[in-house]
Amino acid sequence: MSAIIRFENVHFTYPDNDKESLTGIDLEIEEGSFVAVLGHNGSGKSTLAKHMNVILTPTEGRVLVDGLDTADENNLLEVRHRVGMVFQNPDNQIVANVVEDDVAFAPENLGVPPEEIRRRVDEALKQVGMYELRLHAPHLLSGGQKQRVAIAGVIAMRPRIVVLDEPTAMLDPQGRREVVSTITRLCREKGMTVVLITHHMEECIGADRLLIMSEGAIAADGSPEDVFSQVELMQREGLDVPETTQLLYDLNRQGCDLPLGILDIDACAERVAQLLRAQ
Amino acid sequence: MLKDITLGQFFPGDSIVHKLDPRTKLILVIVYIIALFQAKGWISYALVVLVTVLCLALSHIRFKTIFKGLKPMLFIIVLTAALNIFYTAGTPVLPGWIITWEGIDRAAKMILRIVLLITGTFLLTYTTSPMALTDGLELLLDPLKKVKLPVHEMTMMMSMALRFIPTLIEETDKIMSAQKARGADFENGSLIQRAKALLPILVPLFVSAFRRADELAVAMESRCYHGGEGRTRMKQLKMAGRDAIALVLGLLFLAGMILCKRLGL
Repeated sequence: MSAIIRFENVHFTYPDNDKESLTGIDLEIEEGSFVAVLGHNGSGKSTLAKHMNVILTPTEGRVLVDGLDTADENNLLEVRHRVGMVFQNPDNQIVANVVEDDVAFAPENLGVPPEEIRRRVDEALKQVGMYELRLHAPHLLSGGQKQRVAIAGVIAMRPRIVVLDEPTAMLDPQGRREVVSTITRLCREKGMTVVLITHHMEECIGADRLLIMSEGAIAADGSPEDVFSQVELMQREGLDVPETTQLLYDLNRQGCDLPLGILDIDACAERVAQLLRAQ
Repeated sequence: MLKDITLGQFFPGDSIVHKLDPRTKLILVIVYIIALFQAKGWISYALVVLVTVLCLALSHIRFKTIFKGLKPMLFIIVLTAALNIFYTAGTPVLPGWIITWEGIDRAAKMILRIVLLITGTFLLTYTTSPMALTDGLELLLDPLKKVKLPVHEMTMMMSMALRFIPTLIEETDKIMSAQKARGADFENGSLIQRAKALLPILVPLFVSAFRRADELAVAMESRCYHGGEGRTRMKQLKMAGRDAIALVLGLLFLAGMILCKRLGL
């Protein structure tokens, strides 16, 4: 598989700030993968996401999306067509008073013929499970539903990559589950590349790859199992690890010798039961 | 309290009025307003009322909804009525009174005129989605693009404003509750004191509106918005047979009203 997004030694400093927000990022994201980015506030994870969609361009180094340099203004629309972006506040990214009109916004901007827009809108709404509510007013929907409309609005554009910048930060647990299961399905069934920025550890468990951001740099990179196994590093970053890993880690500190990278609760229980039977 | 405002709101539906092209409806509202201002006598007013009630029936909009929408206008209606009752010269109702028969006649007609005017425009916004409305407006004003008038930008701003009315109303409600919880008093005191009490609402509301505008602009751009050039629409506006019929009926109504005026009805 080839890298669809490539960061080459990317530095970035906000104009009214002397501290670097990104301090030399090198990163390749493979097509079709589900990458989660975890970090606490101010770690640079949102800044990283904004570089994928030309909301920001590097002060040094370069970002390539499908081979297109984001710093080149002629590439702007092409890059944004390839990378769909979902933001934190669902109210501030919905542009229309009717759900289906909002989903149609991006293809309309791209000049897609009307019949084709209709097809894409229906398809996108079915994919996020909002087809039945297509004639509703967005402000009457729940947070999770609004965010799914926002996702539909992005996939109607037929992007190759969907970047979600803390899409669940303003949602209740129910809404969070809806959104996470929707994006997981998009990646697994439609082969879309997904980059999920979050500070909820449990949303990263289903990802193919997990990045930990800290102080504008990538502190850890690997499968969720591997990254969560580095419990000391996670604690240093002020991040939680899954309860299973925490339990296994605590057992190991009492003298057991268990692998830390078990994120499934049943598998973890099975492993502990095995240990008890052996004793 | 603020949620009761129905101004500029759209009620989705499936009636023949809903199905009309927004351009037709825009033209018809203008025709309706011109026709309304031709009315002088009670017979012509009765004709306008008849047409309005007929249109309401066709659009399946309930009278209750219209009355709710009229409520915020009550003050203006009462004020105009009062002015007309007291300041019209003529034969007094009772000897020595200021109130004249002519005044009552004029006040009643004025109330009717305002109510009909508002009802007519409500009928447009209640049956037309803001998107369709602004699309229709943009197409109607299309010739003005030739004289460099930013028609697309103007209609886009209008549709964004309409989109954010419910969001900002909700926000105002929230801020008011938050200020009340901290002891703010919006109901008592003199007019100036009450106006001052509104300041702690307006400041956070404006700050948040600007922040929203900023985020919205970024979200729109990241969905490839780049102005009106090369834009297509999912819902193509097409004039159908019913639009032609509606327009002909509208013009007939106007002609009828002008005739009534000539005949002094």
